[in-house]
Amino acid sequence: MSYYALLFIAGFAGSFHCIGMCGGFACGLGADPRGASATAVRHVLYNTGRLSTYCFLGAVAGALGQVICTSLATGSPRATPLLSASLDVGQRALAVMAGLLMIIMALRFFGLRGWNRVRSGFGGSTLVVSLRSLLGRRGFAAPLAFGVVNGFLPCPLVYAMVAQAASTSEVLSGCITMAAFGLGTFPAMLAMGGVGRLLAPSWRQRGVRLAGSFILALGLVTLSRGVMPMMPGHGLHHLWHFT
Amino acid sequence: MTPAPDALCRHCLLPVGRRGFTRAVNGEGCQFCCYGCCIAHQVKSGSGDASEAAWFLVRLGVGSFLSMNIMLFSLLVYSGAFTGADRRVLPTIHLLLWGLATPAVLILGEPFLRETWSQARRGRLTSSALIVLGSGAAYAYSTLAVVQGGGHLYFDTASMVLMLFTLGRYLEAAGRARASRDLAPLLAAESELATVIEAGQEHRRPVREVRAGMLIRVKPGERIPVDGLIVEGRSHTDDAVITGESRQIAKAVGASVLAGSINLDGPLLIRSSGAGGESRWAQICRSVRDALRQSSRTQRIADRLVGAFVPIVLALAAITLAFWVQRLPFDQAMLTALSVLVVACPCAVGLAAPMAHSLGIGQLARHGCLVRSPGALEALAGARLIAFDKTGTLTLGRPQLVDLASDGVGEEEVLARLAGLERHSEHGLARAIALAASARALNPIAAEDVQILPGRGLRGLVHGEAVAAGSAALMDELGWPLPPALFERAELMAASGHSVVFVGWSENAGAGRARAALSFDDTPLPEARATIDALRGLGLRVTLLSGDHAGAAARVAATVGTDDWQAGLLPEAKRLALDQHRERHGAVAMVGDGLNDGPGLAWADVGIAVGSATDLARETADLVLPADGLWLLPWVVGRARAVRSTILANLAWAFGYNLVALTCAVLGLLQPILAAAVMAGSSLLVVLNSLRLERLPGPCHPSAPESAPGPTQGQSRALAWLEAES
Repeated sequence: MSYYALLFIAGFAGSFHCIGMCGGFACGLGADPRGASATAVRHVLYNTGRLSTYCFLGAVAGALGQVICTSLATGSPRATPLLSASLDVGQRALAVMAGLLMIIMALRFFGLRGWNRVRSGFGGSTLVVSLRSLLGRRGFAAPLAFGVVNGFLPCPLVYAMVAQAASTSEVLSGCITMAAFGLGTFPAMLAMGGVGRLLAPSWRQRGVRLAGSFILALGLVTLSRGVMPMMPGHGLHHLWHFT
Repeated sequence: MTPAPDALCRHCLLPVGRRGFTRAVNGEGCQFCCYGCCIAHQVKSGSGDASEAAWFLVRLGVGSFLSMNIMLFSLLVYSGAFTGADRRVLPTIHLLLWGLATPAVLILGEPFLRETWSQARRGRLTSSALIVLGSGAAYAYSTLAVVQGGGHLYFDTASMVLMLFTLGRYLEAAGRARASRDLAPLLAAESELATVIEAGQEHRRPVREVRAGMLIRVKPGERIPVDGLIVEGRSHTDDAVITGESRQIAKAVGASVLAGSINLDGPLLIRSSGAGGESRWAQICRSVRDALRQSSRTQRIADRLVGAFVPIVLALAAITLAFWVQRLPFDQAMLTALSVLVVACPCAVGLAAPMAHSLGIGQLARHGCLVRSPGALEALAGARLIAFDKTGTLTLGRPQLVDLASDGVGEEEVLARLAGLERHSEHGLARAIALAASARALNPIAAEDVQILPGRGLRGLVHGEAVAAGSAALMDELGWPLPPALFERAELMAASGHSVVFVGWSENAGAGRARAALSFDDTPLPEARATIDALRGLGLRVTLLSGDHAGAAARVAATVGTDDWQAGLLPEAKRLALDQHRERHGAVAMVGDGLNDGPGLAWADVGIAVGSATDLARETADLVLPADGLWLLPWVVGRARAVRSTILANLAWAFGYNLVALTCAVLGLLQPILAAAVMAGSSLLVVLNSLRLERLPGPCHPSAPESAPGPTQGQSRALAWLEAES
């Protein structure tokens, strides 16, 4: 449980980063002329759309991790004695990859650029154009659709979390990983919809640093899970109980 | 309602083809080549909350929301999250999945169903039929399973297949639109509106309705819609679309402006000097549109294959089902057949060539180079030899009179008669003669009945007496004697590499004779050497085919560094020479000025005209470079090669990918969702691969014109770099 709590906090801290970009969208989504409750529904729907995208990404990443691990394990059916060992190999490889990815993303939060090209690709600009035309639309379907597309926007925070979800190599844990993270971003994003840009830039900067530290810590732990010698009967989230 | 197959898609500007349909956007009937373009266009051009574009995105977004949740729960079911104690919630989950899948399938599947239906009524099967059949079968089977309360559910397959294809088409359309971005300003000539001032009031009118003499207002940032003269205001203009060079040119009252150029920074009032539909911009627009409408040979072959593909795939899916149903439970056999249906969508094959073509044509057009058919690019890419015409192509085309030898007549009379005769010619020498005559303040003696004899000269009548000017061969042909003294002088002139023209006339109705020989010197273009070196660097053989005499051809050939040269060729002989080169070296391109060498340009595999002054509609060349645009040629060749290799890579990729994926699907190794993702990914890869063409560098002027032999390579590189930076 502490593992998911950590992810929730990472999401919460990270949402100070979100305010820069997605917060703008939340503001742009604005108020519903039909009243406060309609506005609330509008923003909840938007965030639900976003959350469902995150959960989907998490589940797919988890499933992918599962496939990688089991295919590595069952790749050579005759090598039964090696089965547990190769299951190990798959999980370790995933953990190393996810850990490295998270560390790289975390470093970006501290201002180390160089991966900026990821964002300015062809897909990104297309998505932004799509989002713009959805923003002004009334009705309840549009904010939901908006949230869904928003969830796919290139974001280092999401990349890092998806990597984490993949390293769990399980559909359910992957899904919950992303759900915990997504729920973590809820308070700030909902608040943004209601109160607008209240937070001073210096506070946002601190939030971004905090999110970076969390992701760095998560990345390091994930990496160590792949590199450190394993004890017999070592569970997947065993390490987390020590942290 | 279906548009004509050669109409162009409103979004991506490619021909709409057989899948085309018409849809109203913002109250205007627009034609689209595919569903993806329809969505993408509405997203791009839609404004306000009433736009249908937003509705499309809502559809896509809500559809994705539903499919993602279906996928999520299905993944949980597959991964065994609901086993053991949680088993009793399984029927509820199934019902939930059904509840999510029904709207998802309806929302996402409707456009595919509509397309299938409208095509089926005309007896055609398109790839959307495969998608509808695939996802429909998965949905129907799973619904049956829910009702019966058992078995596997494939709602995820049904909805994800639809979602992936919708997404794939949207991204594909976005890519295609990006590919045609360069073309938009060129094609705008037909749809652009001009602000016409009539009786003190401004009216917005289509450019083609503008007549000569109308007053047009052009705001800063707008494109100037017609050729004309500035009546009021001052500004800078950028004529890149017409001249190929992006440069700011200061314009003030009285200056002429070109249609298609951009008015950069000041409001202008322009008096139109010609009809809106006849400016070079409008001609370019028509030419580009024609080029886009044609398909190259590669594309025609690909299209025919795609047409045959769909029925084959249906048959293959049926066979796969029949085969696996005997060995596997029904639902798994069905799933295998679904994979076959879904993976075989030949969208990528259909995309392979048109996008690369429109990118290539668009980029060339942006630098003022016109391609008149997509096939020309492919032919140029395959050319092994480039033949140049000399005059006006490799040389400045502004020869100067350097010597005049006459036999028994005054120089002034020779020049006056010649000037009268040459007024009817557009040949480079004609201008030199006119210049020489006006320098001596001579009045040309008017000539009538002037006939141009290609490659030899011209003849006409002055006061009823025959006059002729041209080569020694022409004099010979007319039976006019050449005085030996004149012939010797002419030999000397030719030996020093100058072009020689004989002039003769008859007197008192007797036989004529040659009476003077004039020699002209034409300097090679400063950038000719660098251009030819660059072409040779591209592995092309370069030759010179000149109608001029050997001395002049040899001198130019040596200066610019061609591999070899042939001189004294009449147009017919040029064709023969091209044939010989074609036999020896393969495909041949011919470069000329489009005036004197029309037959040669038409005869070569690719005819390239530099700075053609003739009417574009009558142009025989496949490719037209802007005036002074010879230096662009190596870049154009490089671009053509890049387009061809992109198309080949796309086709190899699309076919190879289809073949491998289809084999896997038939063997039951591919899940339908994976198959759909694979297929959408394949189209996207073709789009991205074609968009790589965008990243190739633009042309680089070899050096400043006055420094032809001057600056070192390093300096000219630095210059080019500076230009690129600024």
